[in-house]
Amino acid sequence: MKCADCVENLGSYVDGELPPEETAEMEEHLKTCADCAEAHRRLAGTSSRVKAGLMRYEAPDVLKARIRASLADPTRDEPPQRGLVAMPRGRVWPTMIAAAAAVAIVSSGLTFEVVRDRAGSGQTQEQVLSSHIRSLIPGHLTDVASNDQHNVKPWFNGRVNMSPDVPRLDSLGYPLVGGRLDYIKGRNVPVVVYARRQHVINVFSWPATGAADLRPQASSANGYHLIRARQNGLEVWIVSDLNLGELENFARLLNQSH
Amino acid sequence: MAEQVERFEKVVLPHLDDAYTLARYLVRDEHDAQDVVQDAVLRALRHFEGFRQGDARAWLLTIVRNCCYSWHKSHRWDRSTISFNDDAATGVTDPHAADDLANQSSERERIQAAVDGLPAEMKEVIVLRELNELSYREISDVVGAPIGTVMSRLSRARERLAAALDDSSRKVG
Repeated sequence: MKCADCVENLGSYVDGELPPEETAEMEEHLKTCADCAEAHRRLAGTSSRVKAGLMRYEAPDVLKARIRASLADPTRDEPPQRGLVAMPRGRVWPTMIAAAAAVAIVSSGLTFEVVRDRAGSGQTQEQVLSSHIRSLIPGHLTDVASNDQHNVKPWFNGRVNMSPDVPRLDSLGYPLVGGRLDYIKGRNVPVVVYARRQHVINVFSWPATGAADLRPQASSANGYHLIRARQNGLEVWIVSDLNLGELENFARLLNQSH
Repeated sequence: MAEQVERFEKVVLPHLDDAYTLARYLVRDEHDAQDVVQDAVLRALRHFEGFRQGDARAWLLTIVRNCCYSWHKSHRWDRSTISFNDDAATGVTDPHAADDLANQSSERERIQAAVDGLPAEMKEVIVLRELNELSYREISDVVGAPIGTVMSRLSRARERLAAALDDSSRKVG
């Protein structure tokens, strides 16, 4: 084998794409030619360094949830929420206007009003917030991952002594991601997980029998928003890094679906 | 339709990590990459009937790659995105382990920077070959170029990477 042929085929050799007979010739040549052997070392070294050093990414849970939600109803043909990949402009605006109108209809004429209280409310808030942040570590978000409330709701049976509400809000832009069990204030608490674009929303609830009702109030800590309410013997905490406006809208939708 | 979706979930969705990895390299921003992959998966579903046999992974990556290019076309102004390093080590207590991690992460950073510095047509063949481990034939299908072109891009890309890594090692060492 000539050096010129060798150099030309080194890449294929390193990638295991060379036919067997040429591979044999190549190996023979590399034993005898110091220059080509050096070129081979350099190329193979670069390839394995790059292979070892490049980040491999895992598809985030929120992306999986969004995809599951859109596969469950592929006829919806939902444009991406951000980015608007390759959507002809003419088609985007009507969709967005329709969505805005839907939000406006939903938000108008409501008695549900969120009091914005930036002071926060102590230890429970801290625990709920920690649980939310912990849930964002890869693999910690859900114990049961499903966008179907008929999978998520029964999963809690026998695991907690209450059955949380798991309404379906996909069509309103808040796909269900799944559920998990968490531990707040010394007891097991069901958490229902929703998504809004790339944001995770955790909904905690537990029985609060005997306690006075509490109108929904919002607070913020470390860049996260929390909405808390107590109604019909149930205490509910909603946590996300979503903007407060959309999180309040979510809280309203959740409240209406009871 | 339900059967079709079920088959799609079985055949195509296992390759979501590969799809997301390619999108992260081609569009960079994590949220944009999520949008691109979601769009690509919905497109793949719409054209799934036309996919009979062959490698589902290469087929999905082809669609993801095309969506990345459409995304670049519709974002021509190329807003600069600042991405924070989400693989930085945290909570390391052993100082030697911390040193090792620091060395590893600076090696990673060097390689990441070198690959990021490649022109798009070289970057994609490097990612498809070294990360996705596709064959030349598959890469040629994904990028829509003859095998000879794939080979010469790969070879030029590696020359550049070798030179860039030599440079950065010298600066550090």
